[in-house]
Amino acid sequence: MCIIEKKTIFVTCGATIPFPKLVSCVLSNGFCQELIQYGFVRLIVQFGRNYGSEFENTVQEYGGQKEDKMIPIERLGCDHSARQYTLMDGKLEVIGFDFSTKMQSTIRDYSDLVVSHAGTGSILDSLRLNKPLIICVNDSLMDNHQQQIADKFVELGYVWSCVPTETGLIAGLRASQTEKLKSFPVSHNTSFERLLTELIYS
Amino acid sequence: MKTAYLASLVLIVLTAYVIRLVTILPFFHPQTDTQRDTEDEVSVLRIQKPSKKPLKVFIFLGSGGHTGEMIRLLENYKDLLLNGSIIYLGYSDEASKQRFVDFIKNFTRCKVQYYEFMKAREVKANLVQSVKTIIGTLMQSFIHVIKIRFAMCGSPHLFLLNGPGTCCIISFWLKFIELVVLFVDSSHIVYVESLARINTPSLTGKVLYWLVDEFIVQWQELRDNCLPRSKWFGILV
Repeated sequence: MCIIEKKTIFVTCGATIPFPKLVSCVLSNGFCQELIQYGFVRLIVQFGRNYGSEFENTVQEYGGQKEDKMIPIERLGCDHSARQYTLMDGKLEVIGFDFSTKMQSTIRDYSDLVVSHAGTGSILDSLRLNKPLIICVNDSLMDNHQQQIADKFVELGYVWSCVPTETGLIAGLRASQTEKLKSFPVSHNTSFERLLTELIYS
Repeated sequence: MKTAYLASLVLIVLTAYVIRLVTILPFFHPQTDTQRDTEDEVSVLRIQKPSKKPLKVFIFLGSGGHTGEMIRLLENYKDLLLNGSIIYLGYSDEASKQRFVDFIKNFTRCKVQYYEFMKAREVKANLVQSVKTIIGTLMQSFIHVIKIRFAMCGSPHLFLLNGPGTCCIISFWLKFIELVVLFVDSSHIVYVESLARINTPSLTGKVLYWLVDEFIVQWQELRDNCLPRSKWFGILV
């Protein structure tokens, strides 16, 4: 089932609102160096709609080289605008795409570690698939629910969280490689099912 | 004399409606005990009488986050909700509908009927336009709700909602129908508040707390601090 042949970190910024700070941090030399040290050889970034050219600029700023390899777009659920690069003298492969229609299978099949923005959908996608997850809160959003939800999940020990800076992300990565998370409880609840059943058949 | 008869008639009718209002709103519902242990899991099966009529479920899909949680809910309780039932799907967002279409493909025994609801608000509309669209939305949703509600009469049924704002209009019409049509059965409205709500309810939640039959929250803090009548079963999505 699992087709991870290369140790991969998957970064998701959410579909609609771009998260430039996170993109720039995960591509930074310091973070990539750390990734290579921990044995990661592939970085997949889902950067959000209408952010393709900025993504390319950021990669090139950090010395990324464009590669013309076949990307498994079918499996990743992305379209032909997906791009592949290499960073750190070819030691790290980078794949970038705007959006995936198969988020769950991308996480299941292509991720050893997930870094996600603090949207509940993305958080649940990873946790339900039992993937280790680092949440990065977008502090430039006006919505403080993301901060609350991140704090709550950290408090419960289901995820690590970090701020969108290079040192923040490195700290998160180190934690993920040395600490263990609590397992996320299953969502099926018998009492809730009983409540629904009683109501439906009353 | 005549006015006295008339007045008493009016009073009787009014009393009937007040009593009806009291019985259909959630405040005086007998509280079902949710703290029971899960040991009597068989009771779920016992209640589920082999009814000849299929289960009819209405769900509403509004936008990204809500749609995601609703699909997770359906997936988790598919044995109960998607087992050869008839789904009445309300939506106001084409992308959400598409996600649902992709999801429901795997449940071939379900029949689905689609109802498009207009959005209550359009961005950048002036006052007159806003009033027009709001009235339009109200009327259109009323027609949809009447159709769906009366299709459900006599069958086991459920209205499962989790936001957004259009759910307020839907619930309002459902309770309105219950009030006016004195002998119609309860709508069985269940509202599940978003996982993103830990300390304060959403605006939709604040309104629906006074209307729906069962109000479910996903964080204990939210029940204890803001919504004492709500029920908490942990994270459901």
